[in-house]
Amino acid sequence: MPEPAPAHPEDTMTTATDTATRGAATIVEEYFSSTIRSLLGWVGPFAAQVGEAKRAGPLTSARIDALVEPYALRTLDLQEAPVYGAGFIAAIDLPSDARSHLAWWQGDDRRQLVLAAQSLNKENIDYSALEWYRLPMSTGEPHIAGPYVDYLCSDEYTITVAAPAEADGMRIGVAGLDMLVSEVERDLLPRFAALGREVTLVNSIGRVVVSTDPRCATGDAVRSGPWADLPRSPCAGLALDVIVEPDATRP
Amino acid sequence: MESVSSPQGVADSVAPPLGGPQTRQHPHRLQGVLFQPIGDEGRAELVERRLVDAITRGHLRAGERLPSEAELARSLGVAPVTVREALLAIRERGLVVTRRGRNGGSFVAQHADPVSFAREAVRTSSRVALRDLGAHYAAITGAGVRLAARRADASEAEQVRRRMERLDELDGESQRRLLDDIQIELVALSQSARLTREQMKLQAEFSPYLRLVAHTSEEHRRQGAHLAAVVDAIGAADADAAGTRTDTMVAEIIDALIRLQAQPRNG
Repeated sequence: MPEPAPAHPEDTMTTATDTATRGAATIVEEYFSSTIRSLLGWVGPFAAQVGEAKRAGPLTSARIDALVEPYALRTLDLQEAPVYGAGFIAAIDLPSDARSHLAWWQGDDRRQLVLAAQSLNKENIDYSALEWYRLPMSTGEPHIAGPYVDYLCSDEYTITVAAPAEADGMRIGVAGLDMLVSEVERDLLPRFAALGREVTLVNSIGRVVVSTDPRCATGDAVRSGPWADLPRSPCAGLALDVIVEPDATRP
Repeated sequence: MESVSSPQGVADSVAPPLGGPQTRQHPHRLQGVLFQPIGDEGRAELVERRLVDAITRGHLRAGERLPSEAELARSLGVAPVTVREALLAIRERGLVVTRRGRNGGSFVAQHADPVSFAREAVRTSSRVALRDLGAHYAAITGAGVRLAARRADASEAEQVRRRMERLDELDGESQRRLLDDIQIELVALSQSARLTREQMKLQAEFSPYLRLVAHTSEEHRRQGAHLAAVVDAIGAADADAAGTRTDTMVAEIIDALIRLQAQPRNG
């Protein structure tokens, strides 16, 4: 698109930075909104099925698993983003035979996750304090949690996207998917690099998700990095910000 | 070869009585390590070792019923016949007893508990092996909490602090589990998956010794106070304080183990 000639060189730089910032935000919005759309595509019909099953008889963990499985496997096939794990985490006291339940499929072999605590001691997994459960359950909105070390499911550095499920006016749990940060990096870095500026993606607490800048490590707090004082531009509909290097003087 | 984690004759040692029924509300990361899928090959020995670890580290407790062979096979990702073979070996070691009948199944033997295991391990270990365990644990845990202090947000430290507030409401066994979980969560705040996985393995190995040292609620609370100070240091982004406090905690525990070892056995 042709742009009016700038009066001063500084304006050129500002405009170019704005363009790069908009470009970076669009890349992030398209990438992550595909994962949220994927969850929103099934969480409604799934919740309705759970509601029906509950009215028809006791809602056991096994019954929940059977309802979740086709949706989870479909989510693992998502083309727009690399999904490592997917499934449904029941609200506390939803299952008739357990206090809590994770119905989760993950990995290359798409196996159902069997947690030792659930299978061995029939213990209750208290995930109520974890970000990917707590936020969607309290706000009623989809949420992108992390990056964080997920020692419950993937055992890897992970981003979890979660959307609340509602049946008969009650929140019955969250539908979710996991992405490994290493895969997100592989997807996003070349796209950011094409913008010709150093781009850093940070989450709502200022943690670096990925950065094209070799000095900026994933997992670091942006407060301690080279871009601590630069403006953060929000990505629409996501609790993620992009930071774009202001000038192109560096290679 | 010498190891502090595999003493001989643990099944013969005298076990102190265990606590009453427990309330269980926390996810137990340690079990996650011990019961990750093993693979397709028939590896009865690996299954045996995992189950023995689960018993000696207190994740399956004296008198507790083991899951069925089918459930274990599903959890560990091996064939039921492999589980059967492993259970037979564990039965022969006296760690598990089998009862027939309608309420039958495999149960953890009454004398198989983590404290007697750790006591036996300390008795049969050399001082140099105990000190080396401390060096390894302090290196990994110290590196983890230092990195956590640099990387964690104050709000994340606050979440952990809130979980710790429940410590006083819990019984001894649940306190130990909560402290183990908190330690792993703190290292997870380093944002390093490798350090976290390493911590989970080390915590599983170290936990029986922590139990042995902290056999009263007050001593559990002492370990809790160390951890609370580490949480505060991470919240304040003070890497040095987090690391130093961790070093102090580990040194105290290893010293206590060596003092225990030096005491003459009184049955």
